[in-house]
Formats: sequence, C-alpha cells, structure tokens
Amino acid sequence: MKILLMGTSHHSAPVEVRERFAVADEQAALRKLIDHDEIEEAVLISTCNRVEVVVTTRQPDAARHTLERFFRHELAGEAPLPVKAHLDDVFFVYRDQEATSHVFRVASSMDSMVVGEPQILGQMKDAYGIAMEIGSCGPILSRLFQRAFATAKRVKNETRIAHRPVSVARVAVDLARQIFEDLADKSALMIGAGEMIELALFALQREGLGTGRIANRTRAHAEALAARFGATPHGLDELDDLLQESDIVLACIGGDGPILSANQLRAALRKRRNRPIFLIDIGVPRNIDPAAEALDNAYLYDIDDLQAVVSANEEERRRESLHGERIVLEEQERFAGWMVALQAVPTIRHLRARAESVRQGELERMISRLDLDEEQRQAVEALTRALVNKILHPPLARLGAQTDREEGLAILEEARALFGLDDPEAPGAEIDEALFAEWSDGGAGDDEE
Amino acid sequence: MGAKDRFVPPFGGGTCVRANGPRATSPVSEDDHHLIPFLQTAAAIYLAAGVGALLGVALPAPRIVRGAVWGLAAGAVIHGLAFSTLHRMDPVPPLTSLPMAISFTAWFAVISLLLFMWRARLGGLAAVVGPVAFLAVFLASLGSQSAPADTLVAEGSVPHAHVLLSSAGLGLLGVSGLAGIFYLFEHRRLKQKRGVARGFGLPSLEALDRVNVAALAVGFPLLTLGLLTGSAWLHAVEESFWSGSGHASWMLVAWGIYAGLASARFVGRQGSHQAAASAVAGFAFLLFAVVGVEVLS
Repeated sequence: MKILLMGTSHHSAPVEVRERFAVADEQAALRKLIDHDEIEEAVLISTCNRVEVVVTTRQPDAARHTLERFFRHELAGEAPLPVKAHLDDVFFVYRDQEATSHVFRVASSMDSMVVGEPQILGQMKDAYGIAMEIGSCGPILSRLFQRAFATAKRVKNETRIAHRPVSVARVAVDLARQIFEDLADKSALMIGAGEMIELALFALQREGLGTGRIANRTRAHAEALAARFGATPHGLDELDDLLQESDIVLACIGGDGPILSANQLRAALRKRRNRPIFLIDIGVPRNIDPAAEALDNAYLYDIDDLQAVVSANEEERRRESLHGERIVLEEQERFAGWMVALQAVPTIRHLRARAESVRQGELERMISRLDLDEEQRQAVEALTRALVNKILHPPLARLGAQTDREEGLAILEEARALFGLDDPEAPGAEIDEALFAEWSDGGAGDDEE
Repeated sequence: MGAKDRFVPPFGGGTCVRANGPRATSPVSEDDHHLIPFLQTAAAIYLAAGVGALLGVALPAPRIVRGAVWGLAAGAVIHGLAFSTLHRMDPVPPLTSLPMAISFTAWFAVISLLLFMWRARLGGLAAVVGPVAFLAVFLASLGSQSAPADTLVAEGSVPHAHVLLSSAGLGLLGVSGLAGIFYLFEHRRLKQKRGVARGFGLPSLEALDRVNVAALAVGFPLLTLGLLTGSAWLHAVEESFWSGSGHASWMLVAWGIYAGLASARFVGRQGSHQAAASAVAGFAFLLFAVVGVEVLS
C-alpha cells in the first residue's frame, strides 16, 4: 500500500491561485475521490493557505492521475487559471516517506506561513474528523494522522517554536507584561481607531486589561470601536487628563507631527507620582515625540523597535523549527516501521498457509498408512500443529516486530526467498482482512498515546 | 574599660562590657555539632536552587525556575530546622554570634522572598537569593554557632529581641536592595531595548517595585526596633543608651538614610526607578555599617 499526497500551498502558489482550489464542501469532495477504485483512503485538508489531499493506493500512478483530474476539474472548475499559474508549478506531489514527513510538518506548524501558529493543528483535526465521519479514512491514514497529532504535540512541548509572539500587537502585550505584573488593574489609552488599534486592544483585553479608553479625532469612530470592546470613547482634546490615568498608551493615528509631546508626558508622569508608563507608537509618521524616550519611568517603543522584536522572535521560531525537524524525522521513521510491519502481513499469512498445507499433506499421507483410532489421530494432529507453530514462531515474531524500514524490507525479501513465497498465486498471498485489522489497530510497534 | 574584654552586639546596640571573664575557647562547641549538618544541607540546597534558577532564567525555562523556587523553600525548611534545634537548648542562646545572626538574616530574607513569590512572578530572584543564602549559611556553618559567654551579661529577652528584630530588618532591607538591583537591570534592558524579545523570564518592573515598597515598609520599622532594643541592651549593661563607638555611629547614619528613603517613598513623589536606585545604595551602606565596620575594626 502506498501513501500519496498532492496539494498546493502558500509555498507553491499565490492566493489568487489557491483560492481557485478552495473546497466548499469537503464531504462531497471526499466522496467523489473514494468512488475511484484506485483510491483506498482519503483525507482532504483545506485552509486559506493550503489545499492538500492525502490518499492510500495500490496503484500510485493511476491515483496520481485521478488526483490531478480532481484538482483540475472538480476543484478549479472550468474557468482558466490566472496567468503564469501552470498546474505543474503550483502543485507538489509526495509519496510514502516524503508524504508522511510533510503531513507531520504541516501538523506541527513547521510548514505554515507563520511558523509555530497553532491554528493548523485544529484545522487538520477537523479534516480528519470529516474523513472519519464519511468513512474515507481507513486504518493507514487514521494511524498517519494520529501520529501527526502526536508529533505536533511533541514539537510544541519539546521546542520553543510557538513561544514568542510574532505580531506587532502581541509583542506590545508581551512587553507590557515585562513592565506590569498584572493588567487587570491597568488602564490603556488607545489613540486612533484603526485596525492596529483594534488588534492591540483585542490582544490586551485577552490578557485581562482592566480599562480601555479610545481617543480619536473623529469621535464617532472612537464610539463605534469603544462599543465593541467595552471601552470608553474620547476626543483628542482630553488627552492631558487621560494620560495621567493611563498605564499603557498606544498611538496609531494619522497626522503631520507628534500628537503627544515630551512635555505633556513629563507633566502626566508628575501627576502620576512617577508611576511607570508604557508608550507604544506604531504611527508613521510617529505620534509620540521621540524625546519622551529620555523621560525616567517612561518606556517608549516605536514601530521599528517592535518590528525588531518581531524579527528576533521569527528568527527564534525558525531556529526552533530545526529541533522540530529532528522530531519529525524520528516520528517518520517510527511510522515507516509500522508500515513495514503492515507489509509483513501478507508474507506472514502466506508462510502460515504454506506450512499448514505441508502439514496437512504429510499428515494425510501418514494417516493413510497407519491404522490409528480417533484418539491417536487427534494426538498426531495436535503434535504436528504444535511442531509447525513452534518452528514458525521465531521468524513470524521477527517479521512482525521489525520497525526499521530498511532492515524490515530486507528481512521481508529474505523471508520470501527462503520460504519460496514469491508466487502471488500461492495460498495466503492475499491480505487476510482480520489479520490486517489486528495489525492496523496497533499490533505492530504500537505507541499510540 | 581597663583589662575587661569588650564586645559589640551584632547590630549596633553599642559596646558592652563582658562581666563574666574570658570567652569560651573552643570555636566549635558541643551545640554546633547538632546544627552544622542542618546548616550545610540547607546551604547545599540553596546553592542548587540558585544555580537552577539561573539556568531557568537564562534559557528561559519557567518550569526550571519554579523547581528552583521549591528548592529554595526546601532549603528554608531545613534551615528553619537548625533554628528549631537551637531553640530546644536550655537556656536558649540568643544568636548573638555574628555568623548565626547572619544565618538568621539570610533565612528571614529567603522566607520573606518566598512569601512575595507566592503573590507575584518573582521566581527569577532565586537566581541571586540562592547563592547569597548559600554563602551566608555556609560561612555561618564554619564559625561557632553558640552564643558567646557575653550573652550572660544581659539576661531576659532583650538580646533575643535585638538580634531577631535587627536580623529581620536587615533581611528585608536586603530583599529590598536585591529587588532594586533587578529593577535597575530590567529598566536598563527595557530602555535600551536589548534582549526584550527573549524576556529572560525575569520579574516585571511592577512586581519588583512592589517588593521594594513592601520590604522597605516592614524592614525599616523592624530595623528601628532592633536598634532600640540594642540600645536597651546596652543600657542594661552600662546604664547608658549610647556607646559612642564607630559601629553605633555608622548604624545611626544608616538608620537616618533609611528614614530619608522611607519618607521620600511614602510621603514624597519618588518614582519606582529612583526608589530602586535608593534601595540599592541604602542597603550597601547598611551592610557596611553592620559587617564592614566590624571587619575593619
């Protein structure tokens, strides 16, 4: 059985191409896929940054053609793709170990646009849930996704891939936590009413901010935003009064020059009995006089300062993703071992059938020569069965327990050659469904959490 | 004083006259044998906790820092057992040996800090408190723990009260100074925008300032009471409240400095940054008055 993965992501295609393959009804798409004989199992992952299909198949070439047709016709429709977007360029295809590794990397957020962002894991769990619901996910993909989720958990716990924030708003909150112990008794003044202000206020409130105030030139905009966040709206003429009551000031408003002067802030600090104040200026041109940086007990960060922190955090995430790659490799090898063990099932079945056939033949030949009563016959039957089982036990156990892919494949090949099992028509060459299920449930090298 | 020996109460009560002959000759008394294993174990645990916290701050790894705080607590429990052993002696020695007084100061500082840590993210302070407590306790374990014969001069609870109050005050003001050092470091880091991405798992400025304020608010009155009881002790021996020694004078100046710091903080408009710098300078002076003057003399 082979694993095949085909898809497109932010690495291979721009958004105007990706959006063409967005899947509205995953269940219907999956049903169409598994209607094809060459597709055994299928899971479809569709997010804003990627559309990927993972399948298991016994006919990889045919399955690949099916997947190409699926993307080209079922998902993209008949309208032509944007200029420069040739399907060969926008799609990637991975097989077996490459496919396994890719699924593990995606689940661990190492393939994400923002490395370490946690949403992708939830989206993959949803995709897996849908596939399970309609029955398109069989034992192999089920195992693959369970291992992918376990890998993601390991990467999250054993590395610092998601430790530091990588958005300006989150970095501002992180810095606020380095100045203030608890935001619940703190007050934030937001100057402006744009998207950045909204994001920052959301991030601060999520950290438990006590009071929010929004000051804007157009009071109506401040009122609209304040109503959404439970803050109080103000005009810019109230800044002097607001400053002395505010522990955090975040400014992002249009204008030719600074809205807040160093003198205004000095006076505010005096009225605050010199309690620290955190000033975040993400306006361009700057909204807070840079001279305020020299004020004691005032901590001023402009957009460049915050961006530098973001870059440093992104760099740390990239470094940590190297540790994540090691975990992915370990997990990929474990999964490959499980797949080898699964491939041993037909060989085991075949070997058992061959031994049983020899036993039965020899037994019948011997019994026809000897005059045995029923009790003696049963005793000889039991004796031969025990002999066969004892002889077969070590090689069968070795085949089943093998988890190293290369060694496992070599042993399988040797076993087939030694016992003459290469004839596909021989008894037991077909997969025994019960035995398959037993192995799929974790009989070989099971390490499910 | 003539041929009579002189000794100084460890926290500046003045110079007293030893009335009952020469000091015990053996540096390690029978009592010490009961205490030293406790002290050395506590010292080892304090050191391990400090190293752990340092590692946790540098990585930064909050779990390691939390483990170090628990280590500090374990060290404080064993350290406390040493004092409980002392308390079971008859008569109870008043900790008037300098090593034991310093050991008690370190213990009180660790306990205070653990209480502060319970309320705020201050685990990073263990990186400094652990090694400092280790040094204090280890050095104490090398000297004699027993009360010198001098303590028989002033009977009753005055020597106990003097040492306990002064040690507690010194310990708390030490915590205040330590919080000040961390505050200055954090302030500089945030102002210069260096290493802010990593965060280093250090306490927030606000938490450090709260420790500074609380330690000063409790530590200064305790130190004041310690000095008053020292003076009472001196009066019981010499019928004078003021010895006029250099040590006593330095302690009085230190007390004056702290009185100024407390009024600037609680009455004036001193900001957190200035308060942190004052706490560091104040404690450096106090340490000199308590230990430095003793060593130099």
